[in-house]
Amino acid sequence: MRRSLTTTTLILLLIASVLFASGMGAMHIPPMQVVSIICNSIGIHLPVDYNEGMAGVLIQIRLPRVCLGVLIGAGLAAAGASLQGLFRNPLADARLIGVSSGASLFAVVTIVAISGIPALAGNHLAKYYLLNAATFTGACLASVVVFRISKAGNKTMTTTMLLAGLGINALCESIIGLITSTANNEELRNITFWLLGSLGGASWGMVLSLLPFILVPICLLPQLSKSLNAFSLGEAEAMHLGINVKRLKTTIIVLATLSVGASVAAAGIIGFVGLIVPHILRGISGSDHRSLLPNSALLGASLLTLADTFSRTIIAPAELPIGIVTALLGTPLFIALLLKQKKAIKSWAS
Amino acid sequence: MMQVNQLVYTAGKRNILNNISFSLAPGKVTVILGPNGAGKSTLLRLLSGELKPSGGTVSWHNRPLHQIPPAQLATQRAVLTQQYAITLPFTCEEVVLMGRYPHFTNQPTADDIAAVKAAMEEMHVTHLSSRPFQTLSGGEQQRVQAARVLAQLWSKRPEAAPGKMLLLDEPTSSMDIQHQQLLLGKARKLAQQRYTVLIVLHDLNLAARYADEIVLLQKGSLLAAGTAAEVLQPATLQQAYGIPLQLIQSVDYPYPILVPGHH
Repeated sequence: MRRSLTTTTLILLLIASVLFASGMGAMHIPPMQVVSIICNSIGIHLPVDYNEGMAGVLIQIRLPRVCLGVLIGAGLAAAGASLQGLFRNPLADARLIGVSSGASLFAVVTIVAISGIPALAGNHLAKYYLLNAATFTGACLASVVVFRISKAGNKTMTTTMLLAGLGINALCESIIGLITSTANNEELRNITFWLLGSLGGASWGMVLSLLPFILVPICLLPQLSKSLNAFSLGEAEAMHLGINVKRLKTTIIVLATLSVGASVAAAGIIGFVGLIVPHILRGISGSDHRSLLPNSALLGASLLTLADTFSRTIIAPAELPIGIVTALLGTPLFIALLLKQKKAIKSWAS
Repeated sequence: MMQVNQLVYTAGKRNILNNISFSLAPGKVTVILGPNGAGKSTLLRLLSGELKPSGGTVSWHNRPLHQIPPAQLATQRAVLTQQYAITLPFTCEEVVLMGRYPHFTNQPTADDIAAVKAAMEEMHVTHLSSRPFQTLSGGEQQRVQAARVLAQLWSKRPEAAPGKMLLLDEPTSSMDIQHQQLLLGKARKLAQQRYTVLIVLHDLNLAARYADEIVLLQKGSLLAAGTAAEVLQPATLQQAYGIPLQLIQSVDYPYPILVPGHH
């Protein structure tokens, strides 16, 4: 009962966030007008007046960016929750354990490599898919390495996991630094964009090409919920409950890195979404992945949409990189959540 | 019925288990005893299918254990390992419900809920239902995990569901004396319902109290196997543990009491 209530609330929150974010900017568009313009574009005419300028701004500029935020937020949060299930550790975040940097290293290498191929110069879609394949490979490699390193027998060690992530982050960043020092101007601009994270490149083309890479993991991950719950008992223990552990691990890594990789390819490194969102939800509706995974996707979508609205309006007409906003919002909240958890454990123990 | 035939297990160049053969019969509680490092837990992990034998065979109902799909095995056999820690904050009730996962697809059925309730009552952990598992003491965590394993094997009509198997690896190591008796007593009751029960124990007196059959290991080899009365002999035990042991019979306690003896 409480769980379906949480989900309903999160759906309403997402709708409100989308309407709010679509309205915010240099040209303010009230929620009723937003609804009316969207309905009109799919053939439903509502008795609400708006001018054509509003419609143009909303359809061409705001909505693609809002959709991109929704998709990436949902993808990152769901990936975060499932990686935490895989590592059996609530601190496993794509950014912290090096999965995002693995993806961005491969993105940077790809950018430099394809700038030398004239055939790809005008072909945005081919470029984008190539970039996607590269970030997916990078994210996969990084997560497999960290998982292997942090596993000690039947457990994953928090410190080893974080240190392995630290190592991979340092390695990737130094190689990226090496590449940037030899890159030309245009490559450099692209590379900086990847390192700070931004939804500024949003277009309908990008939204459509990102869609499958986010939708597939979001639809498939919740089907692994029961297995992920059992996996938290330990690998052998999950096996004794009838779970094909090897297949589960591979599936989780592929699906989670698919969405992290695609997010990095579209918007660069955006940290902390995958860490904060599941944390908040565990506090509200518990650790059961059957509700945690879909709810994470919903809350992640709202959170990133709102964070992006903040990043593009707070110092308008300039923009803050969204990676900085999520880190600024995320770190204090994360520390507060940790303190709360520590206190909860203490009060039970005494 | 489980058959263990000339089982060998090596890790690297080290021989952990040598040429072990015995069988486990339904309706009996079999206890594995032996000093530290004798290979007790490794043997249990081989019998649970977690490890693959380097040589020899383990078969369950006349089928090689490794040919049985894990999902099918999980409906007939439950294993309590020594790994209790859970780092994600699940409540105790959620942990016990995990024992029912092999039995339902999406939502637990009324039977699954009944199993969870019965198992939690049995292990005296009902009052811990909504507590986060991580916040429990060691003994409480062990009881909740035991309840999960009991829930996995629970059936509506136990008399009509024989042939199931329960494997416990030092299940009472953190429990107080009341709960030790409670869990091992429950294991006995399951054996009376024709379950096959195998327990790794350290405490010789618990073994003497609850075992029908005993498998005594020493340095990876089978030192003795047989009924409790056959194996629990001072000479055999001294050979295994390296210290003299004395067997005391009390007038009003029908099981032998084992204490360290004089030289």
